[in-house]
Amino acid sequence: MTRNKNSRKTIRREIYVVAVLFAFIFVGMIAYFCYYVQVGSRDFIYNSYNSRFSVFADDVTRGTIYTSDGHVIAKTVLDEERNETRSYPDERLFSHAVGYVGKGMSGLEAEYSFDLLKSHISLSEQINNNLTGQKSPGDSLYTTFDYDTQMAAYEGLGMFDGAVIAIEPSTGKIIAMVSKPDYDPNTIALYWDDINDESKNNSVLLNRAIAGAYPPGSTFKIITTIAYLRSNDGNSDYSYNCKGSIDIGDYTIHCSSNKSHGQEDLLKAFSNSCNSAYADIGINLDRDIFIDTAEELLFNQQLPTALSSTKKSKFTIDASSTDSLVGQTAIGQGDTTVSPLHMCMIVSAIANDGVLMEPYMADKIVSLDGDIINQTKATSYGQIMSENEASLLQEYMEAVVMDGTADSVDFGDLTVYGKTGTAEYTSNKSITHSWFVGYAQNEYGEQLAVAVIMEGAGYGSKYAAPLAAKVFNAYFK
Amino acid sequence: MVSVVISFSRITILAFIIVFTIIDLIQLFEFKLSEAVASVLSTIQVVMLVLFIVNTSGILYLVNQDYKIIMLLIFQLTLFGLIGIVLNKLTILPSKGLVNNVLLFLSLSFVFLERLSMTRAVRQLIFSMISILIAALVVFILRQIRYIERYMYWFAGIGILLLLIVRFVGVVEYGAKLSISIGSISIQPSEFVKLSYLFFISGCIVTYRDIRGFIFASIGGAAHVLVLVFSKDLGTALIFLSTYLLLIFIAYKNYVVLVLELLVATFGGLLAYNLFPHIQNRFIAWSDPLSVVDDKGYQISQSLFAIGTGGWFGSGFTKGSPLKIPVVTKDFIFAAISEELGAIVAVCLIICLMCTCVYIFNIAFQCNDSFYMLVTSGIAVVFSVQTILNIGGVIKFIPSTGVTLPFISYGGSSLLSMFICVVIAECSDDLFYIPKDRRYD
Repeated sequence: MTRNKNSRKTIRREIYVVAVLFAFIFVGMIAYFCYYVQVGSRDFIYNSYNSRFSVFADDVTRGTIYTSDGHVIAKTVLDEERNETRSYPDERLFSHAVGYVGKGMSGLEAEYSFDLLKSHISLSEQINNNLTGQKSPGDSLYTTFDYDTQMAAYEGLGMFDGAVIAIEPSTGKIIAMVSKPDYDPNTIALYWDDINDESKNNSVLLNRAIAGAYPPGSTFKIITTIAYLRSNDGNSDYSYNCKGSIDIGDYTIHCSSNKSHGQEDLLKAFSNSCNSAYADIGINLDRDIFIDTAEELLFNQQLPTALSSTKKSKFTIDASSTDSLVGQTAIGQGDTTVSPLHMCMIVSAIANDGVLMEPYMADKIVSLDGDIINQTKATSYGQIMSENEASLLQEYMEAVVMDGTADSVDFGDLTVYGKTGTAEYTSNKSITHSWFVGYAQNEYGEQLAVAVIMEGAGYGSKYAAPLAAKVFNAYFK
Repeated sequence: MVSVVISFSRITILAFIIVFTIIDLIQLFEFKLSEAVASVLSTIQVVMLVLFIVNTSGILYLVNQDYKIIMLLIFQLTLFGLIGIVLNKLTILPSKGLVNNVLLFLSLSFVFLERLSMTRAVRQLIFSMISILIAALVVFILRQIRYIERYMYWFAGIGILLLLIVRFVGVVEYGAKLSISIGSISIQPSEFVKLSYLFFISGCIVTYRDIRGFIFASIGGAAHVLVLVFSKDLGTALIFLSTYLLLIFIAYKNYVVLVLELLVATFGGLLAYNLFPHIQNRFIAWSDPLSVVDDKGYQISQSLFAIGTGGWFGSGFTKGSPLKIPVVTKDFIFAAISEELGAIVAVCLIICLMCTCVYIFNIAFQCNDSFYMLVTSGIAVVFSVQTILNIGGVIKFIPSTGVTLPFISYGGSSLLSMFICVVIAECSDDLFYIPKDRRYD
């Protein structure tokens, strides 16, 4: 007889072990599922492949987008026949920052489409709207932009191509973001073919503030300075006698206008933006420390921010690079490229004593009744440079504005810390991009970091720095 | 007007399902409920079930204005009655919790198939009617056979033969050979091999009760799994493998063997991963579906969009767009349920599936006959693993393996084999042969 009545007792325990094992997997799965629905899906479903948004638009009117001070950036208006159109009252002012709805979507309009098409009105109102066939109003999005600062940046850039970006260092809030050439989001559908005409090669849809790839010019000396400090154990002792140019092999690097700066320490070399001294620093640097410093300062990496379609900055020195290339790289020429956003992040970390806050531009989602549905929390990426390095650079950048390359610029009553840059981008050395990166502080300790690039404008101190002054003054007025 | 009904039904449907699930959990944790209480709870569950199916069918009728929906509703309720009668005839004390859960899964299957594809809903209903009768017949036949475990090599032979047939003349679907076509009907033999496989493994163990049983079961099990791996039917191979492992563990109570075999299985898994690009693709689609959204990641991305867009409360029945998900009626029906009825209902469904697994384990635990104890444990393992693989794949918990969700996914083979499994589980205590003169009826 193969059947055994006693088997039940002897076998029972293992059945429960297996059952409990499966129960644990089920519970784990439920936990994962809940996490996805509550948290993970927020990132995942903002995707142009998710065509379900159109379903919401049948019941909900797209919400309004505001600046932090309550100006309407984008709203949906109804005509007499109740047709909806998306309207942007300030036309081109926020074109790259906020994006558009029309031919597809872009920018914040695309990223927050889901929230703008959700309605948090009460259930009774919802039922009432359903009964009467009315659409429910969607939630509003408050951005981090400051209207006057944005306007100053926009008007300051004028006819030039280029970009301006301003960040609050203590939070990472993006206060202003302008990129030119731009477009009018109200009429984008009309001019769609024109805008996308490759032969015109004007790439107006590209947001140069976050996706531009520019040679950093002298603004890169900030990074070279940090690398120098790191290879000397934090010691800033340095001395160099500038004769207006330096020969590296058969390549010669000139100082701006061939001016010879004479005997300099590191502070003087920085504030005079002395190319010869910095090329000298570059070729004598430990390569590994130079590369590590650049990568810790987020070169060759995805920038830590919720903003989509940012561009990785490029730093390509390696052990086999020639001395002349390293020398050029140290002064911001060579193959290095950066985005204005990246430079602005580095400067805001300097202002914030080395701590980088992740930049963001969507502050909060607010329902029609004014309840906050979702508020973005400022997130720290961590210390990207030591406090000592930051405070030394603060001192150096102040010297640039007090008696260095930017001493002729009128910044008003603000304490400003900055670095100018004049970047060559073709073999014709007389056409240059004009850079200014820096931050200002008012008497209450409030700060604003700015990166300005004006394409083909010329000296940084002549064009970009005065524009930064306008942006600072608009923000702190 | 219709959209008001749909909005309001979001709350009522949620309530029905939550009450049903809570009763499931009470029955799970309070084993010693008095019979009267248990009976009342079970009746409430049935009421919730009927309310659910009437509510959803009502919405469908309002939306489609199709008289077929009312007809189907009547047939569905008839089917539920039929299932109850058949089980009561077959066994004295069926586990009511288990039956109610199966009926819930069937209701979800019917209403969602009606919403997604009417012809499939009609076919699924016909399959169910036939399946419950075949399942009853199978149980009746099993009861007439004195020592069923002695036919174990027949079970192994037939099983491997069927799998080999699929391997060589099967139709390729989604990169794997799963089914054979006879005329217009497509059959997935692996669904039935699951049963013969369970009988084979349990038979080996019960017949020898020593190391020989282990060896024969291992050789047979390995043969099944290898054929499946070479047919690229990864999901079913995993189900067979885990069933073998856990049945051996339950019977021989040996943790060392379990760990050793897990190591071998892991090694085999790594080998298979390196050998088959098909498997690597599934892992890529799992780790970052958006990077391959145009191609391999399309299905899982659409599934996650559906679940995420539906949110906790869902878009409302018929208000979502689940048809954007490829093969939504089969492997990805869970995503459709979550999108339209909401993630809370989806969580309740997972809990009900979990309770179902525990109920079957519980039946195995109570079983007097060691052979059917093992078969029922195996059924519980198959049900659990299949559910975890399916839902895990749909929600990106694990890579997608292409197995069906028991009772809910569309498909006749899967439905029939699951019906047979559940009826065997329900009757497992009465299944072993009783000589004619000792029968009590």
